[in-house]
Order: sequence, then structure tokens, then C-alpha cells
Amino acid sequence: MLTFWKNVLENSPDAYEKAVRARDARIGSFLEFNPTRHLGNAPGEVASAEKHAVLAGLPFGVKDNIAVDGFRLSCGSRILENFNSPYHATAVQRLIDAGAVPVGKTNLDEFGMGSSTDNSALGSTTNPWNEDYVVGGSSGGSAAAVAAGLVPFALGSDTGGSVRQPASFCGVYGLKPTYGTVSRFGLVAYASSLDVIGAISTDLDVLQAVYEVISGADPFDQTSMDPVPSASHDADAAGVASLGYRGKSPCLGVLKPEQLELSAEVAETYQTCLEGFRSLGYEVKEVSLSMLEYVAPVYYTIATAEASANLARYNGVRYGLRPDYAENPEELVRLSRDQGFGAEVKLRILLGTYVLRSGFQDQYYLRAQKIRTAIRTDFEASFGEVDMILTPTFPRQAFRHGGEDMSPFEQKQADKFTASANLAGIPALSFPAGVPKGLPVGMQLLAPAFGEPRLLAAARDYATLYKPELAPGYERPAGEQ
Amino acid sequence: MYQSFIGLEIHIQLATQTKIFCGCKAAFGDEPNSNICPVCMGYPGVLPVLNQEAMRMAYVVARTLNCTLSPRSVFERKNYFYPDLPKNYQISQYEHPLGRDGFVDIEFHKKKRRVRIHEVHLEEDAGKMIHAGDMSLLDYNRAGTPLLEIVTEPDLEVGEEAEVLLQQFRRMVRYLGVCDGNMEEGSMRCDANVSVNLSGGGLGNKVEIKNLNSSRFVRKALNFEISRQKDILERGGTVVQETRLWNENRDVSEPMRTKESAHDYRYFPEPDLPPFITDDAFLLEVEKGLVELPAARRTRFIDEYGLSELQAEFLIDERSTAEFFEHTIALGADPQSAASWLASDVKKLLNRRGESIESSVLNPERFAELLRLLDEGRIHGKIAKQVLEEVFVSDASPAAIIKAKGWEQITDPAELSEYIDAVLKANPNAVEQVRAGDAKPVGFLVGQVMKATSGRAEPQLLQELISSRLAVKVIHVLSFGGAISGVRREDGLIGPGELFDLRTEFAGDTGLPAELRLEEIQLGAFLSEEIAPADWAVLISEIARRIEDSEAAGIVVAHGTDTLSYTASLLYWFFGKARIPIVLTASSVPNDSERGSAKPRSEAVANISAAVKRAASGAPGVGVVYGAQEFAPLNLKFERVEEGAARAGVFRTWNEIGGDSNPAHLPAPIYPAAGVEPTDRKAVQTALENAMSRCFIVKAFPGMRGDHLITLMKNGVRYFVLELYDTGTASVRETPYSLRAALQYGAANGVSFFCTSQQEAMVDFADYVTSHELWREGAIPMGRLTTESAFTRLIVAQLGSEDELEVQRIMEDQ
Ligand SMILES: [Zn+2]
Repeated sequence: MLTFWKNVLENSPDAYEKAVRARDARIGSFLEFNPTRHLGNAPGEVASAEKHAVLAGLPFGVKDNIAVDGFRLSCGSRILENFNSPYHATAVQRLIDAGAVPVGKTNLDEFGMGSSTDNSALGSTTNPWNEDYVVGGSSGGSAAAVAAGLVPFALGSDTGGSVRQPASFCGVYGLKPTYGTVSRFGLVAYASSLDVIGAISTDLDVLQAVYEVISGADPFDQTSMDPVPSASHDADAAGVASLGYRGKSPCLGVLKPEQLELSAEVAETYQTCLEGFRSLGYEVKEVSLSMLEYVAPVYYTIATAEASANLARYNGVRYGLRPDYAENPEELVRLSRDQGFGAEVKLRILLGTYVLRSGFQDQYYLRAQKIRTAIRTDFEASFGEVDMILTPTFPRQAFRHGGEDMSPFEQKQADKFTASANLAGIPALSFPAGVPKGLPVGMQLLAPAFGEPRLLAAARDYATLYKPELAPGYERPAGEQ
Repeated sequence: MYQSFIGLEIHIQLATQTKIFCGCKAAFGDEPNSNICPVCMGYPGVLPVLNQEAMRMAYVVARTLNCTLSPRSVFERKNYFYPDLPKNYQISQYEHPLGRDGFVDIEFHKKKRRVRIHEVHLEEDAGKMIHAGDMSLLDYNRAGTPLLEIVTEPDLEVGEEAEVLLQQFRRMVRYLGVCDGNMEEGSMRCDANVSVNLSGGGLGNKVEIKNLNSSRFVRKALNFEISRQKDILERGGTVVQETRLWNENRDVSEPMRTKESAHDYRYFPEPDLPPFITDDAFLLEVEKGLVELPAARRTRFIDEYGLSELQAEFLIDERSTAEFFEHTIALGADPQSAASWLASDVKKLLNRRGESIESSVLNPERFAELLRLLDEGRIHGKIAKQVLEEVFVSDASPAAIIKAKGWEQITDPAELSEYIDAVLKANPNAVEQVRAGDAKPVGFLVGQVMKATSGRAEPQLLQELISSRLAVKVIHVLSFGGAISGVRREDGLIGPGELFDLRTEFAGDTGLPAELRLEEIQLGAFLSEEIAPADWAVLISEIARRIEDSEAAGIVVAHGTDTLSYTASLLYWFFGKARIPIVLTASSVPNDSERGSAKPRSEAVANISAAVKRAASGAPGVGVVYGAQEFAPLNLKFERVEEGAARAGVFRTWNEIGGDSNPAHLPAPIYPAAGVEPTDRKAVQTALENAMSRCFIVKAFPGMRGDHLITLMKNGVRYFVLELYDTGTASVRETPYSLRAALQYGAANGVSFFCTSQQEAMVDFADYVTSHELWREGAIPMGRLTTESAFTRLIVAQLGSEDELEVQRIMEDQ
């Protein structure tokens, strides 16, 4: 399959484009698709290109809140509907330098705010496994495009689970790296202290190569850094099977399923999964993440607070949607924002403004920061006992479009497994673990900071037991004869 | 009694090459929106990258303001919507600014004050919005330029102090090279907060004032605001806590009509920037950025080079001038003459040509050469001025110019002697007359030599050579015809007369040197109490001409006693640095002695005789001789004492300025900084008359009505010498019978009050509540100067400048 992907743009770009358009007419993963726009860009850094030869020639999708020069950068919002990016995000530039080719921009919940991609103002995306179901979010377009065989990998952004949850819903791998290891330059900020660019793929080698290429300090992002393996996990090395890891069995922390409020299908898959790891020789140990119940409120307090400032720049003055006429600058700003933002975005801006009000910061924002520290400490303590923690990615499988299955409030609460990794800044990987009743279920592995190699190694181990399935009708890449 | 509290928020744009968070050029005056990029325009997805140079400059300023430097400073987002703010939040500092708890020392009208600095923090500037018709235009060139905010505690009391602080601050940042301090162009901005309360009541309700575009507006706006709040409190009202804008066209502050005062900035730490941690290498860079500050340099210039405060003040104002000066000194130039040339002719030329000293063709080497040529006598003053101008025109060295133009003087005594020999040989009659005791032909002979050398003879050398060849010393005695030369009329009253023939009077005086040749010049015939500006103008121009042409080895001024303390100090401010002695003397009674009789010599004859001796042998500069006693020319007081049946006069010096006759201890003379050419009698007279019309001496007395002074001000009086009680007290009570109304009217109209004492006391406004009130109202203490000396200084200061603040500065520099 990889051989096909490496040559598709060179050999049959037209057939590829045609096939993608045909498939995407059903699932709606791309907001903009043009496989030839960045074709022929010579790889920049030869060293990187050689080292990650696996990426050379691969087309990839980019969530439409990550900048790609020559493509739009809509963030799924009316307010940026026609905004063209004048520059590449660092992650995109590094992939181009490694020989990969960005072919289009994928749909998302507006500004990354949502768990379904139904909050996009510009397109609707549906789950390749069943069109009645949502694809997850907010990187839903990226997950759908990968699951439907439109691209071998796609970039997403993960603020509270936005890469992992749709990956889980679509039966593909989704990696959220350690906060700061991937430059955020070019990622449109939702919640700056939580945002990280991640990758989605069906192939662990590709996923690992993408991670290695896009990670590393960037002078344009002062919060970025090179991955620094700490003493406790310096034995981690890419490509080393985790069996025999550190000379003894790797130890997996698990949570008591009955406390996790899981759907029957997810609970069952979780059980099967940890039995599977046991059978592979992993030690399984119960850990208690006592702060887990605070994750969702803390996450939404911090994320909305930062969002209220991050989204303030969209005012119709310098770019973006603006009314035809306004009486004065103040009215221009008001009308632009009123017409440009969707309901969920407005809700979160208001919430963030509320928690930052002077006199209320102690009660909300500062308190949330304290709990965030406690969550981080909680994880540190757990990682003193176990090497990784296994949780479900999301408490249930994909839900149907519309609010019948899951209200927006329930969707927010369900972010607790994924958002905990963002609050702690640690890496997490969602991997496919089963397809009960025709919809995929993903499991999540969490590791201490810079423990990405360990996560990938464990996922490889599990793949020996369970080979991820592709959505029916999408078993072969788009355009393959 | 009310207290006022003023705090300032000063913003300076740091002079970095690039903006604070992106690589755009931080420049002004460019095409609108030409220095912008996705980062400073707040495009989606971009991130700030901190400019290290901005951080370094910020820490240098904080360190210079004696702040505690934060080892870890944190940026935060300050959230507010405004179209000129691209991200609609400003990256600033809040909880952890880079500097805290500093101080800066200022001085206004002799009162020193330590102003505490609350904090120093770094932030990004916004763009500019311009309203044009029904459009609003935005220029983002300024958006993202580094802005440093300095917040003081409310430690200032009056607007003038804020003005002083701002001027000092401006100079500091220019010295540090971190900002050009231009308030008009907005690279330095100031907001202020003011509160007024009853004494002892602590801070009152705070009012913020914005739109202060110059340090002068700051002073005016703050003083306006203080009196506005005082009025409210006096009427029993409450001051509304609000933000007001200064309206510079109407000279009033007005409430800002917006809801902006209700801002909640919702600060939170900037997640895109890690905290800034200072390491040793960075702190070393900060230390390297520190420079000798203007205040320290001023003190050093005074101590090291013996400059006056005014001279030092001028030199240190710009770092480039100070460095030019020191460079010149290092090349061997005399600090005094370098300083006075820089402050007068060089400054005038630069202004006229619109050049700055560092960019002009006059470098320290050329300047030092010019001073050396002057010092060696190879050129004299007038030629030196021409040479200086020519340096600017032809971009050549002074020596080369002199050579090319044939301007070099004859300074070789041997060469000059040849000319003198020829002239003396050709004029035997004149020589004979001089030998017989007549001084007049000396001038004639000097003129002949000048003619023979086509004016190239160095005048002083010529004077010295002729004097020694003829073995004479020429002293000119200038007389106004007061009592010293007066007559007692038939009715017994003393009237003016013509100076008696000194040669006859001194005939038997063996104490006088044999080579002495006296020339008497009658400048008028009136008593000294009748002196008018025209008379002073004659005196000044006659003395100036004699100094310039080296006509005499010394000058004696025969004066009356009544106004001697005025004329003596006036001449001192003009000629304190003259290279020949100028000696004033007086007599209160005429020369009653019978010519040639054996009667004891009259007071008049004795005093003139002593003055002539002092002029023939004494130190250069201005002195006073009376009753066989020498006095410094300043702070003289004439007193009458009963001495048996006869009435006698004595002089006494108050406050003992230069009591040891050491001229170095006197306040520095003002000329040649004065703007009027002193040899030009008409010009001097006009200038004196103008100055005289603008000033007035007032003595405080119980029950004095302030509104009478207002009448004077309305009639054109701009300066008062105010003679107060003791160390500077007077009534400023809320009653028409006090100075209050006059001081307030004066402050509002730019009228100055220079305060002296009715007693022999030093005026410094210390100790008393009433003194402090006077200081608050802007009265200026004159320290040790007496009313007479302060008054003449005020006259001469006005000749130097029409600008009232400049006059104030000259008056304060003692
Ligand atoms: Zn820029």
C-alpha cells in the first residue's frame, strides 16, 4: 500500500484527484483539495529527507487550522472562510522538506471547538463506517480522510482530544505528542497552553516518521523544544519492541472499568485490550487517577479562558469576514464577530471571558490552574509505578449526527480521558482496538513527557494481536487500480 | 491646607532595530503599513518571538532607575478591544514585571525629592487609528514596537516637579541610547494621576490625566488639575474618580467621554512566551549598557573642570555635546573657554546651520586647535569667531584657514617691537607728553602701531610692550559725577559735579606707583540715586570697549554709595571674568578739601586713591574698594552709622559670599553667555530698558495685598524679586491681604518670583509651612543672594534670553 502512496502523485495525479473527489463527495473530509499545488516542491533538507525516506512523495491532508501557504486557513469558520494563508506552519514546512506533499485542507469543528466536526460552518463530514454517525472531532476531516483511504496520513491538532477521539471513531491511529515538542507556529490557536499538532494514520511507521519529522525546537515558537528523554525512560528507543523493554516486562496502568462510565461496547473492548496486553507479557497494574473527575471542568475553564483571548483578533478589521457597511469601527467589530462566529465558539468565548473577570479569577481560572498542577502531579506519581497508562479514548463509540445520542454537555464531560493528557502536557496515542457492532473503538495509551517511542512500540505490540480493520468499501487507497 | 499627590506613567519606545515579537523594522515615518508581517498583524497561527535586545534595554533602564531586577519576568495578556490593537490583547507584564521598587532623585527650586519607582515593565505598542471624514484609517507600523512603561509612586507634589522628572528622564534614556525621548512624536509618552486631600488625610480620589504631549503640558495639566480638585474640596464636594484628557488648545482638562474607565483587562499569563529568566551572561550585558548619567556627569564637570552649574548643565544636556567637550579637553583645551565657546558661538552656528555637533565638520581636534591658537594669542577673539565660521564653510582646520586668509596676529614681541620703535621715533612729542605724566597720548601711539601693522598686532601684547617701553601703567577712571566728584552747593546740599583733577590731588601721594598714568573720563554728572538704564549702558559699553581694545591696564569706576551694590553686582555679572581689574569705589561726601592745602584728605580722594592702587596691582575681575577695605562685588549693603558728630557710611557684605575675596567662590558671571554685544551702547541700553520694564522689586510686609501685584503683572511685569522674611516666609493665607492671589495669578501666567530675604538670611524655603506653600506656588528661592544682586542678575539674565524658563534656569544656577 505504501508503495502505491509514494508514487501516486507522480504516476497518476489526475486519477487520484478524481477518485478522492468521488469518495469525498460522500464523506466530506476535505474543505479544499488540490493534489498538485505543492507538487514538485523539491525536498528542502536532504538529510531529513533521507532519514525519513518513508515520507517521500506521500500526499497528506492538513486540518484547516494549520497554515499551508497557497491554501485557505478557514478554521471551519465563516469569519475566515476566504482567508488565504501567506505562510507554512513549521510542521508543514518540515514535512514538505522531507518530501511529503500537502494535498488539501480537512474539515474541523470551528476553531477546533467540538467533538463531532458538526460544528464546522463550512462543510459536513460523516463517518466512513456509517454515514449516520459523526466522525468525531475536532480533527474529524483528517481522521475521515485517512480512514477513507484518501491520504496515508493527515495532520490534526489536539487541544483536549481532537486528534485521538476522531481517530478512535474512525478506527485509525492518532498521536498527540508531548506539549512543546511540535512547533505550534502556524497552528491557529484555540488554547495555547494545551494545543499541540498531532498526526493520524493507518500505518505506525508513517506515524512515527511524521512525529520524528515535525518534532523539535523551532525558533518561531519559543515554547517549543527538542524531545528530551528523561533518565526514567532513556531506554526508550524508536523501533525497539517493548517486550524486553528495560530488561523486564513493561508495566501498564489500568483504571477500574466500573468507575469509568463506559458504554457496554467500550467497556468490553477495554477488557479485551488489557487481557491482550497481558497475553503479550505486559504486567497490568491498577492505578487510581483521583483527579480524573476534575479534568473536564478544569479543561474547559482553561481552554475557554485562553480561547477568549486567542479569538479576539478576528474582528474583520485586517482580514476575514466584515459587513458591507458599519457606522464606526466598534460596530464593524461587533457585526463581524456576530456574523462570523458560530454558536459553540460564541459560547466558549463568553465562558472564557466570564472565568477571567477580575474578582472571579481566584474562583475559576486560578483555581483551575492549581488543579491542573495537581493533575500533573497525579500522573507523575502514577508514572513512578507504571510505564504507561491504558484508558479508553472516549467512553463510547461514534454517536449519530444531531444531539439525540449525546448532548453537547455530555460530549464535553466525555473528554476527560483525552483532555487529561493535554492538561498534563504528556503524550498519548489512540489505537484501534475493535469494531463492535460495526463501529470502531479506540484505546488510549498515555506516557510520561517525551515517551512517544514507548507509545508507538506498545501500539506495534498490540497490532500483532489485533490488525486494525479499514472501513468497508475503503479497503484500498483512493485511485489504486 | 491641602496636600497633592502626583504619580506618573511614562512610556518610552525602545530604539531597537526590530519590533518586540517579530522581525519587522521598528521605524517611524515610513509609508503606512510598510513595516508589518503576519506576526505583528495578528494573523491566525502566528506566535511571538521575544526580541532579546528589547529585553536588554528594558533591564538597563530598570537598573538605572535603581530597581530590583526580576530574575524571572513574565509576560501576560492584557485584553481589550481596539481596532489599532491587532490581536485585541496586548502582550504586557502584570504580576511579575522586570523591575520593581526603584527610585529617582529630582530637584525643583532647591527642594530635593526621591521619587519611588513602583515598577518597570515591557509591552508591545499598538498601531495608530486616524479618523478622516467618515473613514477610519489604520497604520500598523507602530504595532508591536517595544514599549517600556515606568510607573512612579504618587510622590510628586506639583506639576513643575513632574516636568523636571520628565526632562531628567528624557535625558537619561537618551544617554542610555534606548530612546530618543521625543514627546511630540510620541516616542516618549506620559499619563499622570493626581489626587488632592486635606493635609494628613492621605491620598484622595485619584484622577487620571491623559494626552500629555510635552513636559510643559504635563506641568500645566497637573497644576490645573490640582487647583480644580482643591476648588471642589473647598466647596465641600467630592472629586470623581475618572480619566480626563488635557485639552492643550483650551488649557483645561475634560472628562473622557467613554466607558473605557470600566475596563476589565482580564490579565492572564501569556502561554505563547515562556517566563524570561536572567542568566549571568545577560546580566553582564545589562551592566555593560550602563553609562555615566547626566546628573553624575554634571557634578563631575563642576568638580573636575571648575565649570558653573549653568555651563555644566548645557554641556551634559546631550551626551554627544558632553563627549565632544571631554574629547576637546583631552586634547589640551582649557575647560572654561571650551565650555563658553560651545555654549555661545558654536551653539549659535549649529542652530543657524541646523546641524548637530556630532554630524558637523567641527570635530574636537579642530575645535581644540582653534582654542589653542586663541590661547597662544595667534588670533584674537573677533578673528576666532570668523575662523570658527570659516571651518564650517570650508571644512578646513583653523590653522590652515588663518594661513590662507592672513589672519594671524603678530605675537612675536621682537617683531612687534620693531613697529613700536618706528612709531615712537616718529612721534617724539607724544612720547614726551607721556613721560611728563599725561596718559592720553598712549592711546594715540597704540593706534599708530595698529595702523602700521594693518591691525595685526596682538592688542594686549602691544599695550604691555608700549607701557613697558614708556614705563607707564594706564588706569582709566570713569566717573558718573556722583558725590565722589560732587560739590556742596551754597544751600548746603550736595550736588553732582565734575571729577576733580586727580593728578593734582595725588601730587603728594607717595603710595602711588611712579609709572601710573591716569585718564579721567566723565560719563555723566548726576548723583548715583539718579542712575538710569541709559547710564548703565554707557558704563557697560565703555568698559567693554576698553577691555577689548586693551586701552588700559585697569579701570576705576567712581560711583555714588546709594546704588553701588546694584552697579557693582551688575558689572560683576558682566565682567566678572575680565582679564583686567575693574574697581568700583564711592564716596558719600564730596571732595571738600582745598586744593593743595594741608588739610586731611577727603573721603573721596582717599577712596579713589585706594581704588587706583588696587586697579594698578590687583587681581583681574570686578572688585569694590571703600574706606581702605576691599569687598567682593556681590551682596553689598550700604549702611549709615553715627560716628560722633559726623555721619559716615560703611559697606558690609551679607551672607559672606566670597567673604574671603576668592572669586572662585562667587556665583559665576553670566556674560559672555549674554546675547547682547556689550560694546554696542545702544543695543545694551535697549536691552536694559526692556529688561527693566519687565521686572520689579517687592518687599513683603504684613497686610500686603496680592492683587496690587496682579495689577503690575497686567502692566507687563514678568519677574519679581520678592524680598521675604527670614529664610523665605510670607503670608499665603486665603485672604486678599496675602501673596496667595499674586502667586497663583503669576503661576498661571508664567510670571516668576525670585525670593530674597529682608534679613541677612539664606532663602531656601526650609522649615516653615508658609515657605513650603510658597515653593508649591512656584516661587524660586535665591539662596544667599541679596535683593540687589538678585535683581541685577535678573537684568543680565534677560539680556541672555527672552525665554522665561531659560531666565529661571540662569537665576537658579548659582
Ligand atoms: Zn511584524
